[in-house]
Amino acid sequence: MKNKTLFLVMALLCAILMVASVATKTVEAEEKTLKALKAGFIYVGPPGDYGWTHAHDEARKICETFFPWLKTIYVESVPEGQAGSVIDRLIKEEGCQVIFTTSFGFMDETLEAAKKYPEKIFAHCSGFERAPNMATFMADFYQVYYLNGLIAGALTKTGKIGYIGAYPIPEVKRHKNAFDIGVREVNPTAEVHVRWINAWFDPDAAAAATESLIAEGCDVFAFTEDSPAVVQTAAKYGFPSFGHYSPMYKFAPDYVVSGQIVHWEVFYLDFLAKVYAGLYTNQNLENVDYWLLLREGAVEVGAEPGMVINPIYEEALKAVTVDDSLLGKISVYDLCLKRLKQMSDPSMVFDPFEGPIYDRNSLLVVPEGTRLSVSELTAIEWAVEGIVGPWPGEPGVE
Amino acid sequence: MNWQSWLIGIFRSMGYGTPLLIATLGEIYSERSGVLNLGVEGVIAFGAFVGFAITFQTSNPWLGLMSAGLAGGLISLIHAFLSITLRANQVISGLALTMIGTGLAGLFGRGWEGTPLPFLARRILLTQNNFIFFTLILALLLWFFLFKTRVGISIRATGENPAAADASGINVWRIRYWCVFVGGVLAGIAGGYVSIIYRPAWTEGTTGGMGWLVIALTIFSFWNPIWAILGAYFFSAIFHLSFRLQAWIAPELLKSSPYILTIITLFFIGILKLKIKKAPAALTQPYERGE
Amino acid sequence: MRMLKIEKKTYTSTKSILFGSLVALLMGFGIASLIFWAYGVNLLYAYQKILKGSFGSSFAVSETIRRAIPLLLCGVGLSLAFRASFWNIGAEGQILAGAIAATWVALFSGIPEPLLIPAMFFFGFLAGVVWGFIPTFLKSKWQVNEIITTLMLNFIAASIVLYLIHGPWRGEEKRGFAYTNTFPQVAWLKMIGTTRVPWLTLILGLVAATLVYILVWKTTWGYEIRVIGENPDAGRFAGMSHFKVVLLVMFISGGLAGIAGVGEIAGIHHLLRNPEHISLGYGFTAIIVAWLARSNPLAVILTSLFFGAMFSGGDTIKVSLGIPFQAIYAINGIILSLLIASIVFTDYKISIRR
Repeated sequence: MKNKTLFLVMALLCAILMVASVATKTVEAEEKTLKALKAGFIYVGPPGDYGWTHAHDEARKICETFFPWLKTIYVESVPEGQAGSVIDRLIKEEGCQVIFTTSFGFMDETLEAAKKYPEKIFAHCSGFERAPNMATFMADFYQVYYLNGLIAGALTKTGKIGYIGAYPIPEVKRHKNAFDIGVREVNPTAEVHVRWINAWFDPDAAAAATESLIAEGCDVFAFTEDSPAVVQTAAKYGFPSFGHYSPMYKFAPDYVVSGQIVHWEVFYLDFLAKVYAGLYTNQNLENVDYWLLLREGAVEVGAEPGMVINPIYEEALKAVTVDDSLLGKISVYDLCLKRLKQMSDPSMVFDPFEGPIYDRNSLLVVPEGTRLSVSELTAIEWAVEGIVGPWPGEPGVE
Repeated sequence: MNWQSWLIGIFRSMGYGTPLLIATLGEIYSERSGVLNLGVEGVIAFGAFVGFAITFQTSNPWLGLMSAGLAGGLISLIHAFLSITLRANQVISGLALTMIGTGLAGLFGRGWEGTPLPFLARRILLTQNNFIFFTLILALLLWFFLFKTRVGISIRATGENPAAADASGINVWRIRYWCVFVGGVLAGIAGGYVSIIYRPAWTEGTTGGMGWLVIALTIFSFWNPIWAILGAYFFSAIFHLSFRLQAWIAPELLKSSPYILTIITLFFIGILKLKIKKAPAALTQPYERGE
Repeated sequence: MRMLKIEKKTYTSTKSILFGSLVALLMGFGIASLIFWAYGVNLLYAYQKILKGSFGSSFAVSETIRRAIPLLLCGVGLSLAFRASFWNIGAEGQILAGAIAATWVALFSGIPEPLLIPAMFFFGFLAGVVWGFIPTFLKSKWQVNEIITTLMLNFIAASIVLYLIHGPWRGEEKRGFAYTNTFPQVAWLKMIGTTRVPWLTLILGLVAATLVYILVWKTTWGYEIRVIGENPDAGRFAGMSHFKVVLLVMFISGGLAGIAGVGEIAGIHHLLRNPEHISLGYGFTAIIVAWLARSNPLAVILTSLFFGAMFSGGDTIKVSLGIPFQAIYAINGIILSLLIASIVFTDYKISIRR
């Protein structure tokens, strides 16, 4: 029967293909220049999220252009739990010598891989586990949120400011607190109303949360979510907002006042250069923890790079003044720029988390004259006074 | 919390309910004719992308919406062909459509992310309010068409008893094809609405989950366009409320309520043996003359 | 309007099934090639890499098997359910139910350590059964369409997982992130050698496939299942209890999916996390796996391996070819559509009626 022979032929073809694939070597040519370095990047989302992963990917591209000896490869949207096998592939099939994992959820798998491949180098973002061949890195926004808070405090007419956050984890709590500290410095009676959408990326939820805060009377908005949904929703109703993570000025040029922008290349360039130069090896990374702030240039305040404050709002901000104990009577506009300078100074002349700070249950959480250490910053659970709304995991409230 | 702020909140939540309603109206027609389209999720995503892309290129949101609808209709024809002509299993065929739709949308959408549509916020707000109005009119028209016209009766007959419908001269296949196509068009428009008007930008997964809500809503509204209006805005109000009530009710549980309500609805239909409000009897069954 | 006259063939040979599927696959790969070509990837290189990535090394084979195991477990269960014409679309939710149960056992139950793994599987199986019971009951007693009920329960299960990891089960060690604490080491499944393949679930899957096959073709229960599935009226006429049959079928189907969930949690994650990252669409893919195997549990072994290879090859595509993963999703959908169409051509005789 004709069908039968055809079928057999097809089956044979398939078999040949399979055998051929196993038997032959891959076509790809290994470019071996003097000394090349191949780095693998594991992303938890797509570079198209225009948020977290996008920022890492932009940094990756900068590294590749900057370093002629560097080859990079990235894997996007890796579900948590699957990073281990992706790392296996990157190392076994792609020959990567350095692996970057860019999400907290990959921590355990990265550590496991570090133990499994002691000759390779690993760096994990936003985690706290390290090994001789595994470093950690993080760029934090708390100072930037503080600056945004100063602006928000001056712009609000209702005295209520909205902050839509992702997860109630110390990182986001820290940012909300810093924001509130800034707000209250300019406007001691203002409130920061908070909401949690329990997702890093959920534009619909962010939009709904924004609308819910608008209904509560908020008129200025900050957020931690990987999309411009909040900016667009707020703009729809005519309210200003602060862009998050990637430059969001273009989404609402009349309404984005400022924001937080990240420059991961500050880390990647430094780390990769040190690995290439042999300064970082697979033995000495146990205590390498990058905690990058304004002074390193890893984070930036602004609606887009170079625009600290949207010029449309300049006048409004100059019109509001604050009485500062050290600086005297100063407009919010100037205060903002001054604080930026102070925090960008290598010795960090100013820090928003310098005591005395009281949480919203009137507990003294930071004593007068002291600052929070990095480990204390990464473990914040309390809410500063002025914050209104649900705060899961608040100490002393159960 | 005063009454006014709650009311404002509810009105503001209408935004999400509008595309939900549009897509549900489409699925109602499809299911009324006897074809379950589990691929709505993929159709909405595909429509969202096409709508966004066309609007971006032509700066014309209406053209974008129309293309979104057309794209949705066309891609649904895959499911129509497989399940109506080839009489394949509607569940599998629908799932395949979901995969194709979301896959292609994500695939083609790469490179578009983060690019906002260059429009004024004011124009968008205006259009959104108009759109709610249009959608309500559409729902009424579709209700009228389904229950008060001959074609509507034919559609319902096809879904209840295709053999009898066929015997009385109704072209079962043509009706089903049209219903699936229309379902796809409406789902595509819903997707386009989200990416053009509701949140004018394209990011990966921008319409995630809406398709499944549509399937739930179709049942929850007893396959009736008028009830779908209430259901759609009710579901979207729940969504909005889950943020308002965050301090008291775990948002995850609140957000799963549409799905729970759907099961309860089906339960009541079954236990009360509601003849009037049952599912179309021939739903998910392919039809073959003489079988 | 052209009318295709489609008559069901009385007998379809395995050969023609394979042939039809093969043609569909080749067409699918043809379309996939178009996509690869559009991305500027050398086709020969691409296919070499894909085949190598799914079968070409011991690592690749282990990855294929690892991905196939949950598909095998769920697929076997679904093949049974489909044979009784009970459209269980809820395997995703049943997987999560098993995951929840496993987490409870490992972290909160106080069961002594040596018994943890057996307990996880036991309660995971039970959880899957319970989760599948609601739609079963609704269908049997009140003819409530199970497609929708099982589908909805998927989302409800996911919501429950989300609620647990954000609320009462959130781990203190996790710095406020939404995870439970990590399971104690004794509750981690052992792997085969240095691979990531847990031998326990692999064996369970193969045993399940065999047992279900025996059940369906060698027992009276199986006979009843087949009758109820193909001709429910005849079954009722012959005095078979629809309820009991469907109950048995879903007992196994839900339970196996629950076990798949336990396997994922205890073998890969060792804690409870975001439901999407746990079930990974296995429940839906298993539907296709079972359907492709024409509800034959032994054939499910093959089809689950096939999809395991698709996933594994898909990873290679992601990693080595830089083609976005959505492409794979779309390709899978297209291949599936072609396979659906091919079924028609193998199962039916088509003629054009003029």
